[in-house]
Amino acid sequence: MNELPLIVENLTFQYRRRSEPAIEKIYFSVQPGQVMLIAGSSGCGKTTLMRCINGLIPHTYSGEMSGDIHLFGMSVTGMRLADISQTVGTLLQDPERQILGSYVMNEVAFGLESLGIPREEITPRVEKALDRLGILHLRDRETFGTSGGEKQKIALAGVLAMEPKILLLDEPLSSLDPASAQKALQAFRQLANEGIAVMIVEHRVEDMLSIHPDVFMYLDEGKMAYLGDTDGLMDVVDYRRIKLPAQVVLERARRDPAPVFVPAANSRSEVKTALVRFEGVHFRYSGDGPEVLKGLNFSVNAGDVIAVLGHNGSGKTTMVKHALGLLKPTEGRVLLEGQDTRKMTVAQAAHTVGYVFQSPSQMLFAPTVREELSFGPKNLGFPADAIVQNVDWAIETVNLKSEMDMPPLALSFGQQKRISIAAILAMRSRILMMDEPTAGQDYWNYQAFMDAILQMPGFDAVIFITHDVDLAVIYANRILLIYSGEIVADGKPQEVLKDEKLLRSCRVLPTSLLKLNMEYLPKTGRFYRAETLAHIQS
Amino acid sequence: MLVTWRYRFRNSLMDRFDPRARWIFSLAFLFAATMFWDARFLLFFFLISFAWYFSGRTAWRETKRGWKLVGFLLFVMIVVNTIITGGGAGGVVPPGGHQVWSQGTTIPLINWHFHFGLTYERLWFAICQFLRIGGISAIFLIIPYTMDPRVYGVTFRGLGLPDNFAYSMELAFRYVPTLARDFGTTFDAQRARGYEIERVKGGIVKQIIRIAPLIVPVTMNSILTGEDVTNAMDLRCFGTRPRTWLSKLTFHWQDYALIAFSIFLLVGGIVTQYAFHTGNFWVPDFWLRLAGG
Repeated sequence: MNELPLIVENLTFQYRRRSEPAIEKIYFSVQPGQVMLIAGSSGCGKTTLMRCINGLIPHTYSGEMSGDIHLFGMSVTGMRLADISQTVGTLLQDPERQILGSYVMNEVAFGLESLGIPREEITPRVEKALDRLGILHLRDRETFGTSGGEKQKIALAGVLAMEPKILLLDEPLSSLDPASAQKALQAFRQLANEGIAVMIVEHRVEDMLSIHPDVFMYLDEGKMAYLGDTDGLMDVVDYRRIKLPAQVVLERARRDPAPVFVPAANSRSEVKTALVRFEGVHFRYSGDGPEVLKGLNFSVNAGDVIAVLGHNGSGKTTMVKHALGLLKPTEGRVLLEGQDTRKMTVAQAAHTVGYVFQSPSQMLFAPTVREELSFGPKNLGFPADAIVQNVDWAIETVNLKSEMDMPPLALSFGQQKRISIAAILAMRSRILMMDEPTAGQDYWNYQAFMDAILQMPGFDAVIFITHDVDLAVIYANRILLIYSGEIVADGKPQEVLKDEKLLRSCRVLPTSLLKLNMEYLPKTGRFYRAETLAHIQS
Repeated sequence: MLVTWRYRFRNSLMDRFDPRARWIFSLAFLFAATMFWDARFLLFFFLISFAWYFSGRTAWRETKRGWKLVGFLLFVMIVVNTIITGGGAGGVVPPGGHQVWSQGTTIPLINWHFHFGLTYERLWFAICQFLRIGGISAIFLIIPYTMDPRVYGVTFRGLGLPDNFAYSMELAFRYVPTLARDFGTTFDAQRARGYEIERVKGGIVKQIIRIAPLIVPVTMNSILTGEDVTNAMDLRCFGTRPRTWLSKLTFHWQDYALIAFSIFLLVGGIVTQYAFHTGNFWVPDFWLRLAGG
């Protein structure tokens, strides 16, 4: 078979209820063993393009399609989804959305079972796929109990067991800690080296560079803005929209004016009152379950902007849920403004702590954005005029004023995420806690709302959980580094993040921005974004 | 992502049976037990059900939540529906009977007249209900805690359902704990916004509106999960060819014995009920003597 694995010709697709095409006149081809990176901001058409290639369009999502896609010389028009799926394997953005089996073995075997492969062939193929990704030891584990990184590998093993010739990966790094992300990338490169054509949709371009993609495509509003090699991409892409290596940003930002960013919470740092205090906090979810938190001791003070870093499953979310009283310690205590969280309701705690959950779909319910944002302040007993004021401020902070009368559930995932943040902002709590605030957001949007939140006066402290080390570098004035339920470092970013050995032992990897900041540190005394460093004489 | 019930292998007597034989027994028990209102027969079924239940060797802390739900249903069906309103006994307990207590009252202004009467017969019927519903609950409640989630689908396939239905049954079975998890997450997310379910008061419409913050996200998540599951199945060729099931089930002698016992229960029930006309509602003499009758 000498035909190319994939040829896309002049592809245009418009969803049935949309007035504009989601992608327009896309053309490219992929060779066996190539790694292709498709980058672009939210809504640029990346996911639509993947759906066209894996057959979900037009089989599941309907609309108007023109142009053609050829798999090994055969047009996909008229091909059954099952036939396409045997050639094109897809790994969805969130592995939790893809995993069907209750146990790893069943999950990986699912596709082979569907194809009616004889039972005696299935087991060796499943074991081979697991072994290929180094997770054979998970064979008899429950899928639900595995970590984020393990889930992704399990989902990938399920795809690989079907022996696809083309692999589509939709933002495969989004739920992974930095070390897991690097391991995943090495695995993708290895698969390409074995002859599979690997296509990755990802806006973490910097991370992707470590595996030297062969082809880059940059999509902008559904159109191909660039198709070529790495060097060309660096010149074409807007560094404010796509995260590029810090050195590249540094060079390009010199031509632009320096960004202005004055964090508001820092100005209160002279008031050292403990807003939250963890005293010897231990926690386990069930009596005979493993200990998730192991004797945490720390305080959150006014003026703190804390980034909580740690690997998948390290206990970060469990820890911050204690501050709000959603979870109570099995040993030790958590004091919120001096009061034990065991003696107060979550609603009472919500006056002090505003907590943004990871997934917006878990909380959005109202018929309009305005009502959604009013819900929290109403529950807290705010007067009517204060509610209106807070709602207006919150919606402006997340840059979604035009959607005020829209149903929140009709908005895109990225917009829903921003609405969920605004819903908490409107409560004007003294402490803002955010769990992975940038997940599902493109680079430009998350920088914009993080800038807005941290420059607004009103919060005594901000805490955010993140896998994005650069987010911690740019915004935090304190880092909590967690490893397996214990705090292994707590201090200023320049103190905690300079210890590369410690970071790596906690599965946190230094980024180019961190390295650049370490070079500039003797001169700057603190960390800055690359755009700011560009205007400091080296 | 769909989760599963908390299952663990306990090396119990129940673990030795093929899941198909267990389903056949459970369904035969259900149909047989629902043919009777005679407490002597129901006591027999009740004892069988709890002997079966304890053969699963589950701990109280594992099944406690399930029993709380059963307890609530029993309360509604027996205390509210049978003892207080008498509605649950309709068509089974003959009208009239020996009075335990009788009280009539009229609401002033609107002149509505209420009459509450409790009879010894209805009380006996409540005991029968307890034996019947309690027994059936024990038989079915134990299933999710003692059945390996890996064999849900192949079990239903082995019982004669087509591949698509068998896998749908597996998904449906796993939907219940998934729904509970989603509800817990949404409840926490709304509590973090100052929402307190204890403060949901007012008329029925107002109460429904007030619980929308819980119901809407859970429903939407269910729809989204459904879409995800469908896409994930489509992308792995589900339903295009006759399916191979990875797990293989084999009947052993104990399974044949259990199936034979299930047939005995069902056929025995039918014969007793329809050939001998035995097993209908019956009140023992000693019970009526308490009423002085």
